[in-house]
Amino acid sequence: MTSQAYHEALISAAKTMVRVQNPRSLLKMIARFIVQQVGLTHASIVIHEAKRNRYIFVDSKGSERIPTKLIRLDRNNPLIEWFLEKDPKGKGKKSFLLYSELLKWVNANHTNGRYKEDQKAHLVELKNIMATLKSSLCVPGFYKGELLGVLILGEKIDHESFTPDEISFFQALANDASIALKAANLRENLLQQNLELELKQKELKEKLHEIELMRTREQATYHQIVLSLAREVYAKDPYTSGHLAHVEKLGIMTAQEMSYDLKDERKRNTLTAALHLHDVGKIGIPDAILKKKGPLTDEEWKVMRQHPIRGAKILEPLTEFRDVGKIVLHHHENYDGTGYPYGLKGEDIPLESRIISVVDAFHAIVSTRCYREGRPVEVAFSELEKGAGTQFDADVVHAFIRAYQKAEGKQSAGKRSIERIA
Amino acid sequence: MVKLLVVDDENEICEFLKSFFEERTYNVMVANSGEQALDVVKQEKPQVVLLDIKMPGMDGIQTLREIKTKFPKTKVIMVTAIETRDKIEECLRLGADNYITKPLSLEYLENDVREKIESTARSN
Repeated sequence: MTSQAYHEALISAAKTMVRVQNPRSLLKMIARFIVQQVGLTHASIVIHEAKRNRYIFVDSKGSERIPTKLIRLDRNNPLIEWFLEKDPKGKGKKSFLLYSELLKWVNANHTNGRYKEDQKAHLVELKNIMATLKSSLCVPGFYKGELLGVLILGEKIDHESFTPDEISFFQALANDASIALKAANLRENLLQQNLELELKQKELKEKLHEIELMRTREQATYHQIVLSLAREVYAKDPYTSGHLAHVEKLGIMTAQEMSYDLKDERKRNTLTAALHLHDVGKIGIPDAILKKKGPLTDEEWKVMRQHPIRGAKILEPLTEFRDVGKIVLHHHENYDGTGYPYGLKGEDIPLESRIISVVDAFHAIVSTRCYREGRPVEVAFSELEKGAGTQFDADVVHAFIRAYQKAEGKQSAGKRSIERIA
Repeated sequence: MVKLLVVDDENEICEFLKSFFEERTYNVMVANSGEQALDVVKQEKPQVVLLDIKMPGMDGIQTLREIKTKFPKTKVIMVTAIETRDKIEECLRLGADNYITKPLSLEYLENDVREKIESTARSN
């Protein structure tokens, strides 16, 4: 192959790689591609298996292929060790190993004794393992200094030696494959983390069952438990400390302004609990998403948008909280039906959910969050006005603003206190 | 020269292990079934047998039982992908000298074979 042909082959391989999600099938493609295009006795690939810290064969193609299920390379295998060690000459990692060069080193070392005995033994071991693997060239795949795998290549069918072009082509392949592997590993880790959080949530649910049993016996601790649960959510984010008291105050104020019957103890308790617990479903969302400084990806939004459903599920076992669960479930619905999780519209959304929606938005605007500084109350009002009738129930927005201004008027130092809370 | 028998229904595996051990100066024979393995053991009396469990026809466990009954001095190392406690215990009870699971480390396998040969030499 000419240099130009390599360049083209590389581009076409890279394009295919982007389309292949599963890195294992990508690696198999690479092995097949090399054997066919370059004409080798075999092309084999080992990758790092993090769980057991060893290197296993993903695939081997060609007439002299290696039985992939039979052998593995441990962390202390001479070949693996050789690539894990830093290059004594250069600063970085070693980028390839040619059997022909290795033979030269073994012989040089034999004649002039430049190397110490143990180094010699090491080189001989290395030579033996390459011979066993019938390999003429090995090319490592690194990602940020981590050895993710090795391309183990047989000799060329025409017995020619490898050209520098060919070697750099294999290096580029190994490099791209490493990136694809790392990306897939990260995806897998994220899934794993999610699974762990699901388990955590299950534990939480069991805890709640216990609480429920306790609650029937000990009415007095009931509200404390609810509060501690809510605090558990906010404790995850230092920026939202103070959020609870503030949100409760704003919510009750708004309800009062809307002639919500706060004298009915059951209704008042339900509203208070919902104001406290509306984000309890965030307990199942990874910190990596919750505390992310930049914008969320589509995938991350999907996870984030589950929190009302998760919250309602957490509250499910508490029979007294059935209404609270419903309010929590719908606190991200928009008045015009564009919200989530169900796209409910107008009066179909519980009034309490509509109140939480406004209060929560206001609080989010004036609070300093991990991704930005808090903004003035006036900005928040104008944002709420803009959303009145679409995102928010206009009646709730106006009641909220009126209630806020009344409270501010009553308290000369009101503005400062709100700012302090926020 | 030390005689070693590799038994596996996958010829690719036999050939790979054959060339690995031949490079290390063993006299290596191969068999692709339990029945073949018994014939070779009978005629060639290898010191060590590397024996796969899962084979069509006579499987590794039956083969192990036969070898250990008729040629108890032969060292048998089970080399297999099957890894359940039951199987391992059964093999050891039938007199297997070790149990190595695939994918295996060649260094470990070679050491183990060498060890078995040394222990045979000592007991003789």
